[in-house]
Amino acid sequence: MSDRLLRPLVAVAMLLAAALPAGAHVGSPNVFYDGSAGPYPVRVIVRPPVVIPGLAEITVKLGDAKADEVTVQPIQWQAGTKGAPPPDVAAPVPGAPGVWSAQLWLMIGSSYGVRVHVKGPAGVGEVLVPVTAVPSRVLEMKQGLGVVLAALGLFLFAGAVTLVVSGVRESALPPGEVPDERQRTRARMAGIVAAVLFALALWGGRSWWDSVKARARENLYKPFHVTSAARLAAGKPILALTIEDERTRDWSPLMPDHGKLMHLFLLREPGLDAFAHLHPVRQDPNRFVAALPPLPAGTYRLYADVVHESGFAQTLVDKVTLPAAPVAGAQAATEVPPDPDDSWRAVEPLAPRAVLGPKVAMLAGGGTLLWHQEPLAVNREVTLRFEARDPEGRPLPLEPYMGMLSHAVITRNDGQVFVHLHPMGTINMAAQESFAAKAGMAGMPGMPGMDHAGQAPASTVSFPYEFPQPGRYRIWVQVKSGGQVRTGVFDAEVGKP
Amino acid sequence: MESVVETVAARPRVETAAALPWYLTAMLAGSTSIVIGLLWDISWHMTIGRDTFWTPAHMAIYLGGVLAGVSCGALALKTTFAGTAAERGASVSFWGFRAPLGAWVVIWGAFAMLTSAPLDDWWHNAYGLDVEILSPPHSLLGAGMITIQIGAMLMALALQNRAPAGEGRALGLAHLYATGIVLLMAATLITEYSYPNHHHGGLFYEIACGVFPLTLVSVARSSRRRWAATTACAFYMLLACSMVWILPLFPAHPKLGPINTPVDHMVAPLFPLLLIVPALAVDFLVQRREGKRAGWRDALLIAVAFLVLFLAVQWFFSELLISPAAHNWFFASDRHWEYSSTPGPYRHQFWHPDTDPLTLRSLGIALALATVSSGTGLWRGSGLSKVQR
Repeated sequence: MSDRLLRPLVAVAMLLAAALPAGAHVGSPNVFYDGSAGPYPVRVIVRPPVVIPGLAEITVKLGDAKADEVTVQPIQWQAGTKGAPPPDVAAPVPGAPGVWSAQLWLMIGSSYGVRVHVKGPAGVGEVLVPVTAVPSRVLEMKQGLGVVLAALGLFLFAGAVTLVVSGVRESALPPGEVPDERQRTRARMAGIVAAVLFALALWGGRSWWDSVKARARENLYKPFHVTSAARLAAGKPILALTIEDERTRDWSPLMPDHGKLMHLFLLREPGLDAFAHLHPVRQDPNRFVAALPPLPAGTYRLYADVVHESGFAQTLVDKVTLPAAPVAGAQAATEVPPDPDDSWRAVEPLAPRAVLGPKVAMLAGGGTLLWHQEPLAVNREVTLRFEARDPEGRPLPLEPYMGMLSHAVITRNDGQVFVHLHPMGTINMAAQESFAAKAGMAGMPGMPGMDHAGQAPASTVSFPYEFPQPGRYRIWVQVKSGGQVRTGVFDAEVGKP
Repeated sequence: MESVVETVAARPRVETAAALPWYLTAMLAGSTSIVIGLLWDISWHMTIGRDTFWTPAHMAIYLGGVLAGVSCGALALKTTFAGTAAERGASVSFWGFRAPLGAWVVIWGAFAMLTSAPLDDWWHNAYGLDVEILSPPHSLLGAGMITIQIGAMLMALALQNRAPAGEGRALGLAHLYATGIVLLMAATLITEYSYPNHHHGGLFYEIACGVFPLTLVSVARSSRRRWAATTACAFYMLLACSMVWILPLFPAHPKLGPINTPVDHMVAPLFPLLLIVPALAVDFLVQRREGKRAGWRDALLIAVAFLVLFLAVQWFFSELLISPAAHNWFFASDRHWEYSSTPGPYRHQFWHPDTDPLTLRSLGIALALATVSSGTGLWRGSGLSKVQR
């Protein structure tokens, strides 16, 4: 092998070191955290791999804060800090002051906490960013690579057959002797036999490859299977959701996030003109019920966010039809009281085309929400910033809604993207607290808690996000003021960069 | 067995040494570098986990491939365009070029290794970084490596066979050394099925009986040296033991998680299989047929001897290997567990007693495979003993 042959190997190594894209939630894989690591304000972006084991891309943005060193460390749930590999030192990104990047191998499908450690003039600070690592895609071979590999394979096949022919024809001849016709014929016969045997070996290899591919497809992450239906309970409409999945026996139990075991969202098809954010209560280990608010009849996409004690967050998906009058036959005797934090909103359907100009949404209960929109494009990191105003145009003082200043839901019109996020990002807070407790970081400065008492009233909220695919999106932004949850609805068109 | 049977002429014993030609030295050095690099790389993955293209283990593998491939390429060019009549006469033609058969086999192996690289890279991206030894791209890489080693073996064999009677001692040893490397490669490729904890199960013996008699019988039949299979196994054990003893001397820590076994030195390969014991019987039985035809009855006899001796040795030796008595530098049974494996009593137990017991059926399958493997070895060995180019 000469340099000519080495070059492709070098290229392969460089490809191996390259980043891989990621997967989680529904079609919105990248993880964002806006908060602090001790004295340092940070934005952490984790782009998990789509295959496991695979490389996660970590970006740490410190803004104007100076740091001497940033390290990142993957902490797998079962192994904890004791079984974590040593931290990796992130590298400052040239030309981007305050931005550091690193890659981390996530070796098993599981929940991880990425511990970000910042050291600088202000001291040291740490934060844990929960990440769910699951295989989400099986890569298909591109035609170009397929052609190259097929050509190489053909070359090897022809070479192997020629080896047999040459060997049988000449290798046993005394030096200098020319093969006679009998030896040539024998060699040709051996070549035919070898070709058949090599073809069989190739066929076996192909079968092996197919079985690996089938297994990889089988192992792709799928959220728990759920069924849902509208019912009557004590004469009032309820939504019943049942988790029907054998994996529930092996997985760790659910734990509350923002004080609720489940955050369930209903989005009416096809115009996404009705929305509800409900909090079903558990009636038995796998059955949840929620009082249904007065939503218009129709077919709704159902997304239920849950988090396991292992920090593994899932979005369970189903479709449910809400009739004008729920079926009376399946009536339950016990009344299901509505959760005080339930909220809903019905508005105009998603506009057929993007609306240009200022983005202002009327808030139910009075006031407006103004979107200070940045240019949107696929995979472009943006800060979605919204300003709440009262009917007189003055800043509207916001209160925590389930522990957060705001909740937002983003979905694409075809339902292939869904994410529930907060000003602190897309991370699951319960998972973060759980990992932090396991890592002995609970209560340390910079770790968020449920108690927002003492915060100055704010009227502006922002969400870090990156639209994962092009298309038409609808965004619901929920804030609370005067004890009332107010939901603003926005539409967005996201194109390719 | 007519097609399998060949007559091997009785050959005079060779005692005098002959120097090795440069290209054979390069091929043997390349083969050694590849197999050392492979064991080192496996240990690297089990200890440190994370690697790059530039790890010393990878460099050893590529260096071996480059050394052997470039040497044989140069030999082919020289023989084709500037070879003497004797050199061209001792070569075979390949797509218009000329070189000894062993050189072409090595070149093919180098191209197979090269082809496996982009396929393996794509494989990692498509299905995740594979943590098992046996995957289709790894098999292609392994085929390339083992082909280079077979090429070195063929080259040594052809030179040995052309050497005048009474000469070629070094060439004969080179042939056996190359065979030892092939045995080590084969043993490495079946590592996932050959932990000592497998040695009371049926599958391990079925695989071993399918794989090893072919090479042992073939080398015993084709070598001019007596006790050829035994010597090849000695080379195999020497190389394998060297890695078992040397690798754990180097401190190293995992750089991937989860770390369930906190290793602090390079993980050792498995202690080699005691193939040398059945190899003695193989040599003895093959010697009995020296200069005579050998048939399926001989293959069956060799297979029975191989299976009985291999089973007897590994059955009891594995009991030692999984016991605390083997927790030392020599056997290194406490040092071959990778960082991600969870400690537990399974390490001191025989695995799959319910699903993979050693039964009469599995012994029958092992014997059938050993017979086919031995018969093929007799046939191939007879053919190899005639290789001149």
